[in-house]
Amino acid sequence: MLEHISITLAAGEWFVLLGPNGCGKSTLLDCVVSRLIPSGGEILIAGHSLRQAPFEAKRQLGYGCAPDVLPALLTARQCLEVHAAAKGQSVIGDDLLILADELRFTPYFDAFVDTLSLGTRQKLAVLLALVGEPKLIVLDEAFNGLDPASALILKRHLRTRVERRGGALLLATHSLDIVEHYADRAAVLIDGKLKHVWPKDELQRLRTAHGDFEAALAEAIGGPGG
Amino acid sequence: MTAPRLATAKLIRLNRRKRARIKNSAVLLSLAILIALFWAEATVAPSLKWLRLHGPLCAGFAAVASAVLIARRRALKRAEFARSWLAAVPVSASTARWESLLIETYPAIAAVGLLTIASISYVLVLAITKRADFLAPIVVWATLSGGIAAGVIGSFLVPQPKPVDLPPGSRYVPHQKLTRAAKFRPAFSALGSWPIRQAFAWAQPKIVSRAAIPILIIMPMGTTADSAMVVIAIFGIIGLLFLVWSGVIAVSRLARRWLAPLPVRSGEVIRAFLLPACAVIVAASVIEALLLLVVNVSYRASAEVAGCTAVLGCLTLSGGLIWNWVLKTGPESRRLP
Repeated sequence: MLEHISITLAAGEWFVLLGPNGCGKSTLLDCVVSRLIPSGGEILIAGHSLRQAPFEAKRQLGYGCAPDVLPALLTARQCLEVHAAAKGQSVIGDDLLILADELRFTPYFDAFVDTLSLGTRQKLAVLLALVGEPKLIVLDEAFNGLDPASALILKRHLRTRVERRGGALLLATHSLDIVEHYADRAAVLIDGKLKHVWPKDELQRLRTAHGDFEAALAEAIGGPGG
Repeated sequence: MTAPRLATAKLIRLNRRKRARIKNSAVLLSLAILIALFWAEATVAPSLKWLRLHGPLCAGFAAVASAVLIARRRALKRAEFARSWLAAVPVSASTARWESLLIETYPAIAAVGLLTIASISYVLVLAITKRADFLAPIVVWATLSGGIAAGVIGSFLVPQPKPVDLPPGSRYVPHQKLTRAAKFRPAFSALGSWPIRQAFAWAQPKIVSRAAIPILIIMPMGTTADSAMVVIAIFGIIGLLFLVWSGVIAVSRLARRWLAPLPVRSGEVIRAFLLPACAVIVAASVIEALLLLVVNVSYRASAEVAGCTAVLGCLTLSGGLIWNWVLKTGPESRRLP
């Protein structure tokens, strides 16, 4: 059950959603990407209501689905083509192909999804989320299964992308290093409620003071060490 | 916990029942319908007579079927248990032996149980309606149960098949190997090939060869090779139609889950799925008509059968897709705790 959640993401902002297992992070993301209908409230993507104008809202949305949702009997190339067609794109952007190359994904374009490893499927899910210059990118545990080098490349790419193109990124994760090095804002969700939101300046202060993010998180949750 | 595997199996069954919302009243209703059928008795007595007359054949069939099924189940359950979270739980040797015996032979036990319930119900109906022939259901029950029991014993003599992990479905999908980098062409056309690929993935060589065995068995003695080939081809066409139809329905559900966050219109997706599948159905119907002509069915009857197959196949396919993509509109329904 999610209650009293109000988050506004500005253009060019990386927002991280933290919280213990089962606190409602994925449920919140499922509502944002219209996989679940919330019983109340409103979700706006780039000014379009997901309830009243779902088609326009989804055009501005990029969602990195769970690897097991990807179609097993299509090739990675076909998945990208379907996503691009849905977003009304006539070509796949060069930047996406460059990112695929950097992630060493290019050799897998013509491989069937069911032959890909978990990490490779995760890379495909992220590439699909980035098709069509979405204004809002939603990623759920997107770095799970990625090797450290690929994870670093992806984090840097996402940071550059939100800064230069003005899109917003909503990421649910357990990795505190992303909050430490990349996020603009972070929030912790406990039992379906926003317990604490770290604004940009607070995160900046913790960064410059080499603050202990783990302790700050524990303090916000009210757990041991807090 | 004295028998952890059995207790877990029981809990899983209870949870499934709770999730599927099967109530005891539904089970009682099924039993009541069964008894009502026995009461009417229009078809039961002749069926029992036939079963009694062909007792040894039925018992033999039950024995072979249960031997093969239980042997396969045993191999599967043993492989599963080796990887199970219960593999390291300390259990005494005797408990482990009888609980694995019960788990491995469960389908046979359930079949005998159902036969027993049906037989007792029928005997009770006979007693209440004061019909004299008690012996027939008891003999049939004993014959079939004996066959199943013999099959279970025989299953220990069947060589243990090696448990193998099935390869990914795409292994059986024919595809072109690209020699040079292809260009990206954004389109929904890939969705159309997905159900056909699913049909290939399901129709693995092992499954096709197994499906061919009963078809070969039903051929009467004296059948010529060419007519047997035609009959096998007709079954093949029916199998293909069934696989493509099921493939479209299954895959469209998966696609709905995958494409839910995308700005796609239902019409576009339905068209992408429908056109190639309908083309396959129409082509298969034409081949079906030609095969019927080969076995001396009239032009008119062959055309009627092919037309019915094509129309029915395409209509039910459209219905299934509309149900999945239009009537169940809105976000993917997902059960939340």
